Amino acid sequence: MVKFSVKHLSLFSVVNAIILICLAIITIYPILYITAVSFSDTAAVLQGRVALFPVGFNLDAYAQVLQDDRIPRAYLNTIFYTVLGTTINLLFTAIAAYPLSRAGFFGRKFFMVAIILTMFLNPGIIPNYLIVQELGMIDTVWALVLPNAIWTFELIILKSFYENMSEGLREAAVMDGASEYRILFQIMIPLSKPALASIGLFYFMGHWNSFFLPLIYLNDANMYPLQVVLRDMLIFSEGGVNANLVDASALAPQAMKNATIVLAMVPVLLIYPFAQKYFAKGVMLGSEKG
Amino acid sequence: MSQAGVEAASTPPKKSAPRRKLTAFQHMKRDRQLLILFIPCFLFYLIFRYGPLYGLLIAFKDYSVFTGIIESPWVGLKHFINFFSGQDFWKLFKNTLILGVTSMVFSFPFPIILAILLNEVRVKWFKKSVQTISYMPSFLSVVIISSMVIDFLSPNNGIINQILSVFGFESKYFLIDPNWFRPIYIISDIWTHTGYEAIIYMAAIAGISPSLYEAARVDGAKRRHMIFNITLPSLMPTIIIMFVLKTGQLLRIGYEKVLLLYNPMTYDVADVFSTFVYRKGLLEANYSYAAAVGLFEALVAMVLLLSSNYMSRRLGGKGLW
Repeated sequence: MVKFSVKHLSLFSVVNAIILICLAIITIYPILYITAVSFSDTAAVLQGRVALFPVGFNLDAYAQVLQDDRIPRAYLNTIFYTVLGTTINLLFTAIAAYPLSRAGFFGRKFFMVAIILTMFLNPGIIPNYLIVQELGMIDTVWALVLPNAIWTFELIILKSFYENMSEGLREAAVMDGASEYRILFQIMIPLSKPALASIGLFYFMGHWNSFFLPLIYLNDANMYPLQVVLRDMLIFSEGGVNANLVDASALAPQAMKNATIVLAMVPVLLIYPFAQKYFAKGVMLGSEKG
Repeated sequence: MSQAGVEAASTPPKKSAPRRKLTAFQHMKRDRQLLILFIPCFLFYLIFRYGPLYGLLIAFKDYSVFTGIIESPWVGLKHFINFFSGQDFWKLFKNTLILGVTSMVFSFPFPIILAILLNEVRVKWFKKSVQTISYMPSFLSVVIISSMVIDFLSPNNGIINQILSVFGFESKYFLIDPNWFRPIYIISDIWTHTGYEAIIYMAAIAGISPSLYEAARVDGAKRRHMIFNITLPSLMPTIIIMFVLKTGQLLRIGYEKVLLLYNPMTYDVADVFSTFVYRKGLLEANYSYAAAVGLFEALVAMVLLLSSNYMSRRLGGKGLW
């Protein structure tokens, strides 16, 4: 009987494995293709000889991209916005989640209802824009980091995490005369590193990949982050004319465009193997609440 | 701190245990450190989440940048009437609904199928590798994904057209053909999100009791029997709740991707409420009209979200809270 089931299993498993391998290839192929083209000769790309591996390996495209000073500048901008933004996000979320996690906290219920309500009240682009404008934050980095300093979902996740942490620890600290600040910064935050890492990952990706907010809040091209520059280079031509109509590929050599895409992908793909664990956890925590 | 206190003082916690009876003031004093920690959060929600509600006033005014929100003259429902009586309304309504419903219906089964197939894999490293690859695209930005789509569909040397030409088809410019907009949007969405959403179903499958499978194996059930008689039925509650919650977010289409992929040739099928608001409001500086459209969209979205949340709780799941 064992023999029979093993035989049967293997047929099923083979078919299943083939399907999954096909799915994996479909998923990863576009990314590999883009990368291969970015390293290939322009001639080879135009003749359609690149399929999976670079043809005529060279770094010309990267050299060209880095010569155009827009990309390096945008890169630095993105790094700056991401680091500052994620730091603010984590700090704000942590110091907000801690009081809310405390059972007897003054006004806790009221605050929670008010916070959760905002998940349903989303007045849209224009009113948000007007607030940022009235606060004089247009064309400043604050427009990118402050209006989204806390994501309600992430706040609720961290709050639940703190609620589930041992009450004994806190009481011991209180006995030792620790202030709430000390408890938060020296006990709760260090102990909640896994939770902070997973929500931090989402904040990080939010900033790194953000394109719409910088697009509407920044007019100064020198301040553009990578995603907006990418859009200008790859999707729209400079005059704001929709390049789709003229065929975007005529604007820049294929290899150069793909090199730009690869450069934008590298940081997220670099953190991705390390982030996996936290990523899956974050998705799960998120789905539990929604 | 004082502001936070005043706001919440209207609901003093009178029902605390008798031995710890505190007046609101004592309570605030006891929690002063926590309240100080809470100030940034309080200000954030007040300014950036409740503040915009005040900006909504302009939907009922003729707002101009020079006069400001307060000074602009009231016009009542003028913008709403304009919007509902014009032809834009029906076009946007239709596009938003069609794009939302079709992308949900088509993309919904994929994560479930992927999760079930992955669950049947017994070789651990293989399972892990496929899963890892599967959610790689969800790390990529919408700009990168749109660039890839445009690149692949380019009529000159896009890979899709190259493949088509091998089979003797003429090269085609997919992105200016209104018939292709929805399929392109949906397929790229499936590519991006399948692996990510499968994680939720994988976790639900992990929660199924192994004894069910044991018993089935003893009874001589084959793999496909187990999939259809154990795995799928056990997943049903998760599937239903995910479906309900997705319905609630029907209107929250990835408008960023629409914005990147559409063009005047495809406006007729691609324009949705959010992209319209962006164009009218921010590009054409038609703030009041755009705010009115945005308000309508927000109301419909809220009703959908509330009712789906209610449904998901009724069906025994967790809602958004």
